[in-house]
Amino acid sequence: MPNETAAHKKNYSEYLLPVVLVLAGLAFIVMARGAVFPFILSAALAYILNPVVKYFEVRGIKRSYAVTGLYLTAGALISFIIYLLFYFLSFEIEALQQSWPDYAERIQKFLVNLNTTLINKYPFAASLKIDEKLVRYLEAVPPFLIGLLPALTLLFVVPFITFFVLLGGSGLIDYLLDHIPAKHAELMLHIASRIDSSLGNYLRGILTEAFIIFLIAFAGLMLLGLNYAAFIAILIGVSSLVPYLGAIVGAVVSSIVAYFQFEAFMPILKILIFFAGIRFADDWVIQPYIMKKAVKLNPAVILFALLAGGELGGIWGLVFSIPVTCVIKEIVQIAVELQETEFRWKPKPEPTRISIPYT
Amino acid sequence: MKILNFFNSIYDEDILLKLGFLKRIRLFEGIKKRSLIHVLENLQERTYLKGETIFTQGDIGRALFLVFSGKIALSRLDPATQKSATIAEVNPGEFFGEMALLEEMPRTATACALEETRVFMLFKIKLESLLFTRPKIGVIIASQLASILSARLRAIIDKP
Repeated sequence: MPNETAAHKKNYSEYLLPVVLVLAGLAFIVMARGAVFPFILSAALAYILNPVVKYFEVRGIKRSYAVTGLYLTAGALISFIIYLLFYFLSFEIEALQQSWPDYAERIQKFLVNLNTTLINKYPFAASLKIDEKLVRYLEAVPPFLIGLLPALTLLFVVPFITFFVLLGGSGLIDYLLDHIPAKHAELMLHIASRIDSSLGNYLRGILTEAFIIFLIAFAGLMLLGLNYAAFIAILIGVSSLVPYLGAIVGAVVSSIVAYFQFEAFMPILKILIFFAGIRFADDWVIQPYIMKKAVKLNPAVILFALLAGGELGGIWGLVFSIPVTCVIKEIVQIAVELQETEFRWKPKPEPTRISIPYT
Repeated sequence: MKILNFFNSIYDEDILLKLGFLKRIRLFEGIKKRSLIHVLENLQERTYLKGETIFTQGDIGRALFLVFSGKIALSRLDPATQKSATIAEVNPGEFFGEMALLEEMPRTATACALEETRVFMLFKIKLESLLFTRPKIGVIIASQLASILSARLRAIIDKP
Protein backbone atom coordinates (compact mmCIF):
# COMPACT_ATOMS: atom_id res chain seq x y z
CA MET A 1 0.00 0.00 0.00
CA PRO A 2 2.69 2.61 0.84
CA ASN A 3 4.38 1.69 -2.44
CA GLU A 4 1.17 2.40 -4.29
CA THR A 5 0.88 5.84 -2.64
CA ALA A 6 4.50 6.59 -3.58
CA ALA A 7 3.76 5.61 -7.18
CA HIS A 8 0.70 7.89 -7.19
CA LYS A 9 2.79 10.77 -5.82
CA LYS A 10 5.40 10.18 -8.48
CA ASN A 11 2.69 10.20 -11.14
CA TYR A 12 1.40 13.58 -10.07
CA SER A 13 4.83 15.13 -9.59
CA GLU A 14 5.87 14.35 -13.15
CA TYR A 15 3.11 16.66 -14.42
CA LEU A 16 4.09 19.48 -12.05
CA LEU A 17 6.88 21.01 -14.16
CA PRO A 18 4.98 21.05 -17.49
CA VAL A 19 1.88 22.51 -15.78
CA VAL A 20 3.92 25.23 -14.04
CA LEU A 21 5.71 26.05 -17.31
CA VAL A 22 2.44 26.25 -19.27
CA LEU A 23 0.79 28.45 -16.60
CA ALA A 24 3.84 30.73 -16.43
CA GLY A 25 3.82 30.96 -20.24
CA LEU A 26 0.11 31.85 -20.29
CA ALA A 27 0.57 34.47 -17.54
CA PHE A 28 3.45 35.98 -19.50
CA ILE A 29 1.38 36.12 -22.70
CA VAL A 30 -1.51 37.83 -20.88
CA MET A 31 0.77 40.36 -19.18
CA ALA A 32 2.86 41.18 -22.26
CA ARG A 33 0.07 40.71 -24.83
CA GLY A 34 1.00 43.90 -26.68
CA ALA A 35 4.49 42.59 -27.36
CA VAL A 36 3.39 39.00 -27.94
CA PHE A 37 0.66 39.93 -30.43
CA PRO A 38 2.91 40.47 -33.51
CA PHE A 39 4.48 37.10 -32.76
CA ILE A 40 1.06 35.42 -32.65
CA LEU A 41 0.23 37.01 -36.02
CA SER A 42 3.62 35.92 -37.39
CA ALA A 43 3.08 32.37 -36.16
CA ALA A 44 -0.33 32.36 -37.90
CA LEU A 45 1.18 33.69 -41.14
CA ALA A 46 4.05 31.20 -40.94
CA TYR A 47 1.48 28.42 -40.45
CA ILE A 48 -0.32 29.51 -43.63
CA LEU A 49 2.92 29.84 -45.64
CA ASN A 50 4.57 26.68 -44.30
CA PRO A 51 3.03 24.30 -46.90
CA VAL A 52 4.69 26.32 -49.68
CA VAL A 53 8.09 25.97 -47.96
CA LYS A 54 7.41 22.30 -47.25
CA TYR A 55 6.54 21.76 -50.90
CA PHE A 56 10.12 22.66 -51.84
CA GLU A 57 11.64 21.09 -48.75
CA VAL A 58 10.34 17.58 -49.51
CA ARG A 59 11.68 18.03 -53.02
CA GLY A 60 15.15 18.30 -51.57
CA ILE A 61 15.64 22.09 -51.38
CA LYS A 62 17.15 23.24 -48.09
CA ARG A 63 14.68 25.17 -45.94
CA SER A 64 16.75 28.37 -45.82
CA TYR A 65 16.86 28.56 -49.64
CA ALA A 66 13.16 27.72 -49.92
CA VAL A 67 12.20 30.49 -47.45
CA THR A 68 14.49 33.05 -49.12
CA GLY A 69 13.12 32.11 -52.54
CA LEU A 70 9.56 32.41 -51.25
CA TYR A 71 10.23 35.88 -49.81
CA LEU A 72 11.93 37.10 -52.99
CA THR A 73 9.09 35.79 -55.18
CA ALA A 74 6.38 37.08 -52.84
CA GLY A 75 8.16 40.46 -52.63
CA ALA A 76 8.33 40.75 -56.41
CA LEU A 77 4.70 39.66 -56.78
CA ILE A 78 3.40 42.02 -54.11
CA SER A 79 5.40 44.93 -55.58
CA PHE A 80 3.87 44.17 -58.98
CA ILE A 81 0.34 43.96 -57.55
CA ILE A 82 0.85 47.19 -55.57
CA TYR A 83 2.14 48.87 -58.72
CA LEU A 84 -0.91 47.67 -60.66
CA LEU A 85 -3.29 48.72 -57.89
CA PHE A 86 -1.70 52.15 -57.64
CA TYR A 87 -1.93 52.44 -61.39
CA PHE A 88 -5.70 51.89 -61.16
CA LEU A 89 -6.20 53.43 -57.74
CA SER A 90 -4.29 56.66 -58.44
CA PHE A 91 -6.89 57.60 -61.03
CA GLU A 92 -9.65 56.52 -58.75
CA ILE A 93 -8.32 58.30 -55.67
CA GLU A 94 -7.94 61.44 -57.75
CA ALA A 95 -11.44 61.04 -59.12
CA LEU A 96 -12.79 60.33 -55.66
CA GLN A 97 -11.06 63.41 -54.25
CA GLN A 98 -12.61 65.54 -56.94
CA SER A 99 -16.08 64.07 -56.75
CA TRP A 100 -16.20 63.41 -52.99
CA PRO A 101 -17.69 66.83 -52.01
CA ASP A 102 -20.39 66.32 -54.61
CA TYR A 103 -21.09 62.75 -53.38
CA ALA A 104 -21.05 63.86 -49.75
CA GLU A 105 -23.53 66.62 -50.50
CA ARG A 106 -25.82 64.21 -52.34
CA ILE A 107 -25.64 61.65 -49.54
CA GLN A 108 -26.38 64.38 -46.97
CA LYS A 109 -29.29 65.68 -49.02
CA PHE A 110 -30.63 62.18 -49.45
CA LEU A 111 -30.41 61.54 -45.71
CA VAL A 112 -32.03 64.88 -44.81
CA ASN A 113 -34.88 64.19 -47.26
CA LEU A 114 -35.28 60.67 -45.88
CA ASN A 115 -35.33 62.03 -42.33
CA THR A 116 -37.91 64.73 -43.21
CA THR A 117 -40.14 62.20 -44.98
CA LEU A 118 -39.87 59.84 -42.02
CA ILE A 119 -40.74 62.58 -39.51
CA ASN A 120 -43.63 63.78 -41.66
CA LYS A 121 -45.07 60.29 -41.96
CA TYR A 122 -44.21 59.03 -38.49
CA PRO A 123 -43.83 61.96 -36.06
CA PHE A 124 -42.44 59.68 -33.33
CA ALA A 125 -39.29 59.24 -35.52
CA ALA A 126 -38.28 62.80 -34.55
CA SER A 127 -37.68 61.61 -31.01
CA LEU A 128 -35.16 59.07 -32.34
CA LYS A 129 -32.93 61.95 -33.60
CA ILE A 130 -31.62 59.87 -36.50
CA ASP A 131 -29.82 62.80 -38.14
CA GLU A 132 -27.85 63.61 -34.96
CA LYS A 133 -26.85 59.97 -34.58
CA LEU A 134 -25.70 59.79 -38.20
CA VAL A 135 -23.60 62.92 -37.80
CA ARG A 136 -22.04 61.40 -34.69
CA TYR A 137 -21.20 58.20 -36.63
CA LEU A 138 -19.71 60.17 -39.50
CA GLU A 139 -17.61 62.19 -37.05
CA ALA A 140 -16.34 58.97 -35.53
CA VAL A 141 -14.97 57.71 -38.86
CA PRO A 142 -11.71 59.75 -39.01
CA PRO A 143 -10.57 58.83 -35.44
CA PHE A 144 -11.36 55.18 -36.25
CA LEU A 145 -9.18 55.37 -39.37
CA ILE A 146 -6.36 57.03 -37.39
CA GLY A 147 -6.73 54.26 -34.81
CA LEU A 148 -5.96 51.77 -37.55
CA LEU A 149 -2.58 53.39 -38.26
CA PRO A 150 -0.60 51.47 -35.60
CA ALA A 151 -1.81 48.31 -37.32
CA LEU A 152 0.19 49.46 -40.37
CA THR A 153 3.45 48.96 -38.48
CA LEU A 154 2.43 45.30 -38.23
CA LEU A 155 2.69 45.17 -42.03
CA PHE A 156 6.45 45.55 -41.64
CA VAL A 157 7.05 43.80 -38.32
CA VAL A 158 5.00 40.66 -39.03
CA PRO A 159 6.72 39.59 -42.30
CA PHE A 160 10.09 40.21 -40.62
CA ILE A 161 9.30 37.92 -37.68
CA THR A 162 7.58 35.41 -39.98
CA PHE A 163 10.80 35.06 -41.97
CA PHE A 164 12.64 33.83 -38.89
CA VAL A 165 9.75 31.65 -37.74
CA LEU A 166 9.74 29.99 -41.17
CA LEU A 167 13.52 29.58 -41.13
CA GLY A 168 13.30 27.83 -37.76
CA GLY A 169 10.61 25.60 -39.24
CA SER A 170 8.81 23.16 -37.04
CA GLY A 171 11.93 22.92 -34.84
CA LEU A 172 10.20 24.06 -31.66
CA ILE A 173 7.14 21.86 -32.26
CA ASP A 174 9.38 18.87 -33.07
CA TYR A 175 11.33 19.52 -29.87
CA LEU A 176 8.10 19.55 -27.84
CA LEU A 177 6.81 16.42 -29.57
CA ASP A 178 10.10 14.65 -28.94
CA HIS A 179 9.80 15.50 -25.26
CA ILE A 180 6.25 14.44 -24.56
CA PRO A 181 6.14 11.06 -22.82
CA ALA A 182 6.62 8.33 -25.43
CA LYS A 183 3.46 6.48 -24.38
CA HIS A 184 1.30 9.54 -25.18
CA ALA A 185 3.16 10.53 -28.35
CA GLU A 186 0.93 8.60 -30.76
CA LEU A 187 -2.29 10.07 -29.35
CA MET A 188 -0.83 13.60 -29.17
CA LEU A 189 0.44 13.41 -32.75
CA HIS A 190 -2.92 12.03 -33.87
CA ILE A 191 -4.72 15.00 -32.28
CA ALA A 192 -2.15 17.46 -33.66
CA SER A 193 -2.40 16.07 -37.19
CA ARG A 194 -6.22 16.11 -37.05
CA ILE A 195 -6.29 19.77 -35.99
CA ASP A 196 -3.56 20.66 -38.47
CA SER A 197 -5.41 18.98 -41.35
CA SER A 198 -8.76 20.66 -40.74
CA LEU A 199 -7.43 24.09 -39.75
CA GLY A 200 -4.81 24.16 -42.50
CA ASN A 201 -7.34 23.14 -45.15
CA TYR A 202 -9.83 25.73 -43.89
CA LEU A 203 -7.35 28.62 -43.80
CA ARG A 204 -5.73 27.85 -47.14
CA GLY A 205 -9.16 27.24 -48.66
CA ILE A 206 -10.70 30.45 -47.43
CA LEU A 207 -7.69 32.55 -48.52
CA THR A 208 -7.71 31.01 -52.01
CA GLU A 209 -11.46 31.55 -52.20
CA ALA A 210 -11.11 35.22 -51.18
CA PHE A 211 -8.41 35.75 -53.81
CA ILE A 212 -10.49 34.12 -56.58
CA ILE A 213 -13.55 36.20 -55.62
CA PHE A 214 -11.38 39.35 -55.67
CA LEU A 215 -10.17 38.51 -59.19
CA ILE A 216 -13.67 37.73 -60.50
CA ALA A 217 -15.13 40.86 -58.87
CA PHE A 218 -12.33 43.06 -60.22
CA ALA A 219 -12.66 41.71 -63.77
CA GLY A 220 -16.48 41.86 -63.69
CA LEU A 221 -16.72 45.38 -62.29
CA MET A 222 -14.15 46.63 -64.79
CA LEU A 223 -16.21 45.10 -67.61
CA LEU A 224 -19.37 46.67 -66.22
CA GLY A 225 -17.54 50.01 -66.31
CA LEU A 226 -18.12 50.81 -62.67
CA ASN A 227 -15.98 53.49 -61.00
CA TYR A 228 -13.63 52.47 -58.16
CA ALA A 229 -13.64 48.82 -59.34
CA ALA A 230 -10.24 48.17 -57.70
CA PHE A 231 -11.40 49.66 -54.37
CA ILE A 232 -14.62 47.67 -54.34
CA ALA A 233 -12.88 44.44 -55.46
CA ILE A 234 -10.37 44.73 -52.57
CA LEU A 235 -13.27 45.36 -50.18
CA ILE A 236 -15.11 42.30 -51.53
CA GLY A 237 -11.96 40.14 -51.36
CA VAL A 238 -11.31 41.07 -47.74
CA SER A 239 -14.94 40.79 -46.67
CA SER A 240 -15.33 37.38 -48.31
CA LEU A 241 -12.98 36.04 -45.62
CA VAL A 242 -16.20 36.16 -43.62
CA PRO A 243 -18.53 33.61 -45.22
CA TYR A 244 -21.50 35.09 -47.15
CA LEU A 245 -20.35 38.66 -46.45
CA GLY A 246 -18.27 39.20 -49.60
CA ALA A 247 -21.08 39.08 -52.15
CA ILE A 248 -23.46 41.04 -49.89
CA VAL A 249 -20.92 43.83 -49.28
CA GLY A 250 -20.05 43.79 -52.98
CA ALA A 251 -23.68 44.01 -54.09
CA VAL A 252 -24.54 46.83 -51.64
CA VAL A 253 -21.44 48.98 -52.22
CA SER A 254 -21.47 48.48 -56.00
CA SER A 255 -25.19 49.26 -56.20
CA ILE A 256 -24.67 52.53 -54.29
CA VAL A 257 -21.75 53.50 -56.53
CA ALA A 258 -23.73 52.51 -59.65
CA TYR A 259 -26.72 54.58 -58.47
CA PHE A 260 -24.58 57.70 -58.17
CA GLN A 261 -22.61 56.99 -61.35
CA PHE A 262 -25.34 55.99 -63.80
CA GLU A 263 -28.49 57.25 -62.07
CA ALA A 264 -30.41 54.45 -63.77
CA PHE A 265 -31.93 51.15 -62.72
CA MET A 266 -30.45 48.81 -65.37
CA PRO A 267 -26.77 48.99 -64.27
CA ILE A 268 -27.84 48.25 -60.68
CA LEU A 269 -29.79 45.23 -61.89
CA LYS A 270 -26.74 44.05 -63.88
CA ILE A 271 -24.56 44.42 -60.80
CA LEU A 272 -27.03 42.54 -58.61
CA ILE A 273 -27.20 39.71 -61.18
CA PHE A 274 -23.39 39.69 -61.34
CA PHE A 275 -23.08 39.33 -57.56
CA ALA A 276 -25.80 36.69 -57.44
CA GLY A 277 -23.69 34.88 -60.06
CA ILE A 278 -20.58 35.21 -57.86
CA ARG A 279 -22.54 33.86 -54.87
CA PHE A 280 -23.77 30.81 -56.82
CA ALA A 281 -20.36 30.21 -58.43
CA ASP A 282 -18.85 30.38 -54.94
CA ASP A 283 -21.40 27.92 -53.53
CA TRP A 284 -21.48 25.46 -56.42
CA VAL A 285 -18.00 25.61 -57.99
CA ILE A 286 -15.34 27.31 -55.85
CA GLN A 287 -16.31 26.04 -52.39
CA PRO A 288 -16.93 22.37 -53.31
CA TYR A 289 -13.59 22.31 -55.12
CA ILE A 290 -11.38 24.27 -52.69
CA MET A 291 -13.05 23.54 -49.37
CA LYS A 292 -13.82 19.86 -49.90
CA LYS A 293 -11.40 18.76 -47.16
CA ALA A 294 -12.05 21.64 -44.78
CA VAL A 295 -14.18 21.56 -41.63
CA LYS A 296 -17.82 22.20 -42.37
CA LEU A 297 -19.13 24.96 -40.15
CA ASN A 298 -22.80 25.81 -39.85
CA PRO A 299 -23.52 29.44 -40.92
CA ALA A 300 -25.21 30.04 -37.55
CA VAL A 301 -22.06 28.83 -35.76
CA ILE A 302 -19.95 31.10 -37.98
CA LEU A 303 -22.16 34.08 -37.12
CA PHE A 304 -22.03 33.30 -33.40
CA ALA A 305 -18.24 32.86 -33.57
CA LEU A 306 -17.85 36.20 -35.34
CA LEU A 307 -20.04 38.03 -32.82
CA ALA A 308 -18.29 36.41 -29.87
CA GLY A 309 -14.86 37.07 -31.42
CA GLY A 310 -15.73 40.71 -32.03
CA GLU A 311 -17.02 41.06 -28.47
CA LEU A 312 -13.90 39.47 -26.94
CA GLY A 313 -11.13 40.80 -29.14
CA GLY A 314 -12.40 43.54 -31.46
CA ILE A 315 -11.21 43.43 -35.05
CA TRP A 316 -8.53 40.79 -34.32
CA GLY A 317 -11.11 38.76 -32.45
CA LEU A 318 -13.10 38.72 -35.69
CA VAL A 319 -10.05 37.61 -37.68
CA PHE A 320 -9.22 34.76 -35.31
CA SER A 321 -12.80 33.72 -34.48
CA ILE A 322 -13.29 31.28 -37.38
CA PRO A 323 -9.90 29.47 -37.07
CA VAL A 324 -10.42 29.16 -33.31
CA THR A 325 -13.92 27.76 -33.91
CA CYS A 326 -12.40 25.23 -36.33
CA VAL A 327 -9.96 24.09 -33.66
CA ILE A 328 -12.72 23.88 -31.01
CA LYS A 329 -14.96 21.88 -33.35
CA GLU A 330 -12.15 19.44 -34.15
CA ILE A 331 -11.26 19.06 -30.45
CA VAL A 332 -14.90 18.36 -29.55
CA GLN A 333 -15.11 15.80 -32.36
CA ILE A 334 -11.87 14.12 -31.20
CA ALA A 335 -13.15 14.12 -27.60
CA VAL A 336 -16.36 12.36 -28.66
CA GLU A 337 -14.35 9.83 -30.69
CA LEU A 338 -12.03 9.23 -27.72
CA GLN A 339 -15.07 8.43 -25.57
CA GLU A 340 -16.02 5.81 -28.13
CA THR A 341 -12.58 4.29 -28.66
CA GLU A 342 -10.48 4.83 -25.52
CA PHE A 343 -13.29 4.52 -22.98
CA ARG A 344 -15.45 2.13 -25.03
CA TRP A 345 -18.67 4.02 -24.40
CA LYS A 346 -20.10 2.88 -27.67
CA PRO A 347 -19.12 -0.54 -29.03
CA LYS A 348 -17.94 -0.46 -32.62
CA PRO A 349 -20.08 -2.38 -35.07
CA GLU A 350 -18.33 -5.25 -36.82
CA PRO A 351 -17.66 -4.50 -40.50
CA THR A 352 -18.72 -8.07 -41.38
CA ARG A 353 -19.51 -11.37 -39.65
CA ILE A 354 -16.04 -12.19 -38.39
CA SER A 355 -16.98 -15.73 -37.41
CA ILE A 356 -16.69 -16.68 -41.10
CA PRO A 357 -13.19 -18.20 -41.19
CA TYR A 358 -10.33 -16.84 -43.30
CA THR A 359 -10.28 -18.84 -46.53
CA MET B 1 32.22 24.01 -61.01
CA LYS B 2 31.12 26.79 -58.69
CA ILE B 3 27.56 26.50 -60.04
CA LEU B 4 27.63 22.76 -59.34
CA ASN B 5 28.76 23.44 -55.77
CA PHE B 6 25.98 25.99 -55.39
CA PHE B 7 23.34 23.46 -56.49
CA ASN B 8 24.86 20.89 -54.15
CA SER B 9 24.59 23.37 -51.28
CA ILE B 10 20.89 23.98 -52.07
CA TYR B 11 20.08 20.29 -52.03
CA ASP B 12 19.23 18.60 -48.76
CA GLU B 13 20.95 15.20 -48.58
CA ASP B 14 18.72 14.07 -45.72
CA ILE B 15 15.60 14.23 -47.92
CA LEU B 16 17.28 12.14 -50.63
CA LEU B 17 18.21 9.60 -47.97
CA LYS B 18 14.62 9.44 -46.72
CA LEU B 19 13.20 9.08 -50.24
CA GLY B 20 15.69 6.30 -50.96
CA PHE B 21 14.56 4.61 -47.74
CA LEU B 22 10.86 4.85 -48.66
CA LYS B 23 11.62 3.37 -52.10
CA ARG B 24 12.77 0.17 -50.38
CA ILE B 25 9.62 -0.24 -48.25
CA ARG B 26 7.29 -3.03 -49.37
CA LEU B 27 4.20 -0.97 -48.49
CA PHE B 28 5.16 1.67 -51.06
CA GLU B 29 6.22 -0.74 -53.81
CA GLY B 30 4.91 0.46 -57.15
CA ILE B 31 4.89 4.16 -56.22
CA LYS B 32 7.18 6.24 -58.43
CA LYS B 33 10.08 7.95 -56.66
CA ARG B 34 8.67 11.33 -57.68
CA SER B 35 5.34 10.46 -56.04
CA LEU B 36 7.05 9.25 -52.87
CA ILE B 37 7.51 12.94 -52.08
CA HIS B 38 3.77 13.08 -51.30
CA VAL B 39 4.10 10.08 -49.01
CA LEU B 40 7.02 11.72 -47.21
CA GLU B 41 4.93 14.89 -46.77
CA ASN B 42 2.37 12.84 -44.86
CA LEU B 43 4.78 11.02 -42.57
CA GLN B 44 5.54 12.15 -39.03
CA GLU B 45 9.06 11.57 -37.75
CA ARG B 46 10.00 10.82 -34.15
CA THR B 47 12.99 9.42 -32.28
CA TYR B 48 12.46 6.98 -29.41
CA LEU B 49 15.22 6.47 -26.87
CA LYS B 50 16.41 3.03 -25.81
CA GLY B 51 13.83 1.44 -23.51
CA GLU B 52 10.98 3.81 -24.38
CA THR B 53 7.58 2.24 -24.98
CA ILE B 54 6.02 3.22 -28.29
CA PHE B 55 2.64 1.70 -27.47
CA THR B 56 1.27 -0.82 -25.06
CA GLN B 57 -0.94 -3.82 -25.75
CA GLY B 58 -4.53 -2.64 -25.42
CA ASP B 59 -3.83 0.99 -26.44
CA ILE B 60 -5.93 2.27 -29.31
CA GLY B 61 -3.80 2.26 -32.47
CA ARG B 62 -3.81 5.22 -34.81
CA ALA B 63 -0.58 4.96 -36.79
CA LEU B 64 1.65 2.58 -38.68
CA PHE B 65 5.35 2.74 -37.73
CA LEU B 66 8.20 2.45 -40.22
CA VAL B 67 11.60 1.83 -38.67
CA PHE B 68 14.16 4.16 -40.27
CA SER B 69 17.04 3.27 -37.95
CA GLY B 70 17.41 1.31 -34.70
CA LYS B 71 15.43 -1.71 -33.52
CA ILE B 72 12.00 -2.30 -31.98
CA ALA B 73 10.85 -5.29 -29.95
CA LEU B 74 7.24 -6.43 -30.14
CA SER B 75 6.02 -8.41 -27.13
CA ARG B 76 2.69 -9.91 -26.16
CA LEU B 77 1.27 -10.62 -22.75
CA ASP B 78 0.00 -14.16 -22.30
CA PRO B 79 -3.34 -13.81 -20.44
CA ALA B 80 -3.00 -17.29 -18.90
CA THR B 81 0.50 -16.95 -17.43
CA GLN B 82 0.50 -13.13 -17.26
CA LYS B 83 4.00 -13.24 -18.73
CA SER B 84 5.20 -11.11 -21.59
CA ALA B 85 7.16 -12.71 -24.41
CA THR B 86 8.93 -11.09 -27.37
CA ILE B 87 7.16 -12.12 -30.55
CA ALA B 88 9.26 -10.21 -33.08
CA GLU B 89 12.02 -7.69 -33.61
CA VAL B 90 11.52 -4.98 -36.20
CA ASN B 91 14.61 -3.79 -38.09
CA PRO B 92 15.24 -0.77 -40.34
CA GLY B 93 13.11 -0.89 -43.49
CA GLU B 94 10.36 -2.91 -41.78
CA PHE B 95 7.07 -1.70 -40.32
CA PHE B 96 4.54 -2.62 -37.67
CA GLY B 97 1.19 -1.46 -36.30
CA GLU B 98 -0.49 -1.66 -39.72
CA MET B 99 -3.87 -2.64 -38.23
CA ALA B 100 -4.25 0.94 -36.99
CA LEU B 101 -4.56 2.11 -40.60
CA LEU B 102 -7.75 0.12 -40.99
CA GLU B 103 -9.56 0.48 -37.69
CA GLU B 104 -8.99 2.26 -34.41
CA MET B 105 -8.90 -0.83 -32.24
CA PRO B 106 -6.71 -1.93 -29.30
CA ARG B 107 -3.12 -2.88 -30.14
CA THR B 108 -2.41 -6.61 -29.95
CA ALA B 109 1.21 -6.21 -28.78
CA THR B 110 3.54 -3.86 -26.93
CA ALA B 111 6.29 -2.08 -28.90
CA CYS B 112 9.49 -1.07 -27.15
CA ALA B 113 12.68 0.54 -28.51
CA LEU B 114 15.70 -1.78 -28.07
CA GLU B 115 18.06 1.03 -29.02
CA GLU B 116 17.73 4.67 -30.08
CA THR B 117 15.23 4.32 -32.91
CA ARG B 118 14.04 6.76 -35.54
CA VAL B 119 10.59 5.98 -36.88
CA PHE B 120 8.19 7.41 -39.43
CA MET B 121 4.52 7.31 -38.50
CA LEU B 122 1.74 7.12 -41.05
CA PHE B 123 -1.51 8.13 -39.35
CA LYS B 124 -4.88 6.75 -40.47
CA ILE B 125 -6.12 10.28 -41.18
CA LYS B 126 -3.10 10.96 -43.42
CA LEU B 127 -3.69 7.74 -45.38
CA GLU B 128 -7.33 8.76 -45.82
CA SER B 129 -6.20 12.19 -47.01
CA LEU B 130 -3.80 10.54 -49.50
CA LEU B 131 -6.63 8.30 -50.74
CA PHE B 132 -8.77 11.37 -51.47
CA THR B 133 -6.18 13.85 -52.73
CA ARG B 134 -3.78 11.47 -54.49
CA PRO B 135 -5.84 8.36 -55.26
CA LYS B 136 -3.09 6.77 -57.40
CA ILE B 137 -0.73 6.67 -54.40
CA GLY B 138 -3.49 5.87 -51.90
CA VAL B 139 -4.75 2.91 -53.90
CA ILE B 140 -1.25 1.41 -54.17
CA ILE B 141 -0.74 1.70 -50.40
CA ALA B 142 -4.20 0.27 -49.67
CA SER B 143 -3.68 -2.66 -52.01
CA GLN B 144 -0.17 -3.38 -50.65
CA LEU B 145 -1.58 -3.16 -47.13
CA ALA B 146 -4.31 -5.66 -47.99
CA SER B 147 -1.84 -8.17 -49.45
CA ILE B 148 0.55 -7.78 -46.49
CA LEU B 149 -2.30 -8.30 -44.01
CA SER B 150 -3.50 -11.33 -45.93
CA ALA B 151 0.02 -12.81 -45.88
CA ARG B 152 0.37 -12.18 -42.14
CA LEU B 153 -3.07 -13.72 -41.50
CA ARG B 154 -2.17 -16.77 -43.55
CA ALA B 155 1.07 -17.12 -41.61
CA ILE B 156 -0.93 -17.28 -38.34
CA ILE B 157 -3.28 -19.95 -39.71
CA ASP B 158 -0.44 -22.01 -41.21
CA LYS B 159 1.44 -21.92 -37.92
CA PRO B 160 1.54 -25.43 -36.44
